[in-house]
Amino acid sequence: MIRRDGQIGKELPKGRSLWSDGLRRLRRHRLAMVCLGVIAVYVVLTGLIYLDELSKWDTPVTRWDEEVGGAYEPPSAKNIFGTDFLGRSVFRKTLYGARVSITVAFWASVVSLGVGVPLGAIAGYFRGVADEIIVWVYTTLSSIPYILLILAFALVLKDKTINLKWAKLGIIELGGIATVYLAIGLTSWVGICRLIRGEVIKHKNREYVLAAKSYGCGNGRIIFRHLIPNVFHLVIISFSLRFVSFIQAEVILSFLGLGEKDRPSWGAMIDQARLELPRGHWWEMTAATAAIFFISLALNIFGDALRDSLDPKLRIQ
Amino acid sequence: MEQDGTLLSLEGVSTHFFTEEGVARAVQDVSFSVKRGKTFALVGESGCGKSVTALSIMRLVPDPPGKIVGGRIAFEGQDLQGLSEKQMRGIRGNNIAMIFQEPMTSLNPVFTVGNQIVEAIRMHQRKGLTDAWSDAVEMLRKVGIPDPEQRVREYPHQMSGGMRQRVMIAMAVSCEPRLLIADEPTTALDVTIQAQILDLLDELQSESGMSILLITHDLGVVAERADDVAVMYASRIVEMAESSVLFAEPLHPYTQGLLKSLPRLGLLEKRLPTVRGVVPNPLCFPTGCKFHPRCAIGFDDERCRSVEPELRQVGETRRAACWYTPGYETQEEYRDYESRYGKHKRLSVDGR
Repeated sequence: MIRRDGQIGKELPKGRSLWSDGLRRLRRHRLAMVCLGVIAVYVVLTGLIYLDELSKWDTPVTRWDEEVGGAYEPPSAKNIFGTDFLGRSVFRKTLYGARVSITVAFWASVVSLGVGVPLGAIAGYFRGVADEIIVWVYTTLSSIPYILLILAFALVLKDKTINLKWAKLGIIELGGIATVYLAIGLTSWVGICRLIRGEVIKHKNREYVLAAKSYGCGNGRIIFRHLIPNVFHLVIISFSLRFVSFIQAEVILSFLGLGEKDRPSWGAMIDQARLELPRGHWWEMTAATAAIFFISLALNIFGDALRDSLDPKLRIQ
Repeated sequence: MEQDGTLLSLEGVSTHFFTEEGVARAVQDVSFSVKRGKTFALVGESGCGKSVTALSIMRLVPDPPGKIVGGRIAFEGQDLQGLSEKQMRGIRGNNIAMIFQEPMTSLNPVFTVGNQIVEAIRMHQRKGLTDAWSDAVEMLRKVGIPDPEQRVREYPHQMSGGMRQRVMIAMAVSCEPRLLIADEPTTALDVTIQAQILDLLDELQSESGMSILLITHDLGVVAERADDVAVMYASRIVEMAESSVLFAEPLHPYTQGLLKSLPRLGLLEKRLPTVRGVVPNPLCFPTGCKFHPRCAIGFDDERCRSVEPELRQVGETRRAACWYTPGYETQEEYRDYESRYGKHKRLSVDGR
């Protein structure tokens, strides 16, 4: 059927957004899908542990502090990863460690994106004084060694309270874990901020921004509705790649004794196990390291694949 | 001052860009007025200040480095310069809308066209999402997009340049503005599409009675569609008249050159004449008349080199800015010329 306007009366291919296009490319990447599976296992595990704690199912994993045998039993059929110095199951501790790591990495990402993305967009869009102040702050921050900075933040924030009474949220006590993710988040927004700033500078002179202004959009609307969606794929990519470094940062902080104290985390496990390693008790160290290794590897490969599929131009460089 | 039929009037508007290399006088002392329901064309080569004039009206000149340094822009008698940014946002899109040269880049790539039209509508009208959405479909139908119900869900990259320009027009006219500024609306389009888009603008104009400020470098476009024409050269208006009058008898050497360089049917010349040279850089304009280095009369004329002619009334309905336009000089200036530079050229000019 030919219509009068010269269009062939066939169904046109369905509209596809940038996102669904990227997803389609990602789905073709088999290794990335495997890695996504691995990440999903960790995330689901964390979710289950939370559910468990909330609804008191009392599964073995939440009873990680139970004595299941003698101290330092090597891996066996009963305790596949052996036991630690108090006779607790290393396997259960390792699984439980995912909860701390994923939680910290998630909240650290939220804090770091929440600070970095708006600041970067504001600096890039307004330039001038706002830009100079923001750039000054982040260059100063990035000139201080990362670990030192995290340690400083963690020590300052430790055992502080945040008064949120004005928002009717009461007083939030910054326990061990909150300290960790705030410290990590507040020190790691520099990279994403710089990235978003550069990208916004590139985009703000595009004609669609001028067109948006010409039908009456204000600055805030242009930044948050027009510019940030256009650079958001970078946020996703950097989120996936940074998630690893947040997990690692938590491990380092716990290893240094600043992290979670009441619950097992992979960092704390490594910290305990390092003294026992010379005595031949290798299993706790191995279990924690393997847990970190698999999620890091999966996140890295997945992050790369995500970047390739959401930002195909990048691959050519 | 405001005549009854005037919608927009510019008086002595100057916009400068303060760059590190110096001050670029992109628009100097530009005055014209757009009448209700009429089309006013602003013509000139690229870089002559047409677009900056349009952006000055919208108050969208990038600041810094740009600044409107003088003059008055009045829309329906209201001084746009005196408005706050918030009031100005209420005017943009609602009373004055604009379409741009590059339909390929002037739509946001991450949203469907429907989303963008809805945003433009809801910016100025209190409407629910569903109402605005059906308005968007209606607008797309109005601008001649086939299958608007489906197209409204599509992304800009799925559309051709002509379609995108139609979408831009749909967005621009969705709030029924009284003035539509069309900044080279057809430059980036195929020739076959150009006429369609211009016809569409004509149609919308006769339906809604809005005025159009058409900015173009294409004199062919202007001749048919515009009621009044101003020719801009190097940031100033050099000639202004009703369209029919201007095309019948151009007065300024620059306009004459432009018209001569248009191809015409039945013309047997092998090569079209051109206007020699290029538009001067706004950072370093020539002294005197800015057109004199490219002008057949003015290039060796002492007065053209040193004194810049302003835009003057030279006939009942027309204005020009050239010393050698008939009726331009006063008797005094004529005598002054002869006493300074010797024999006057007028005789040879009148015979051209």
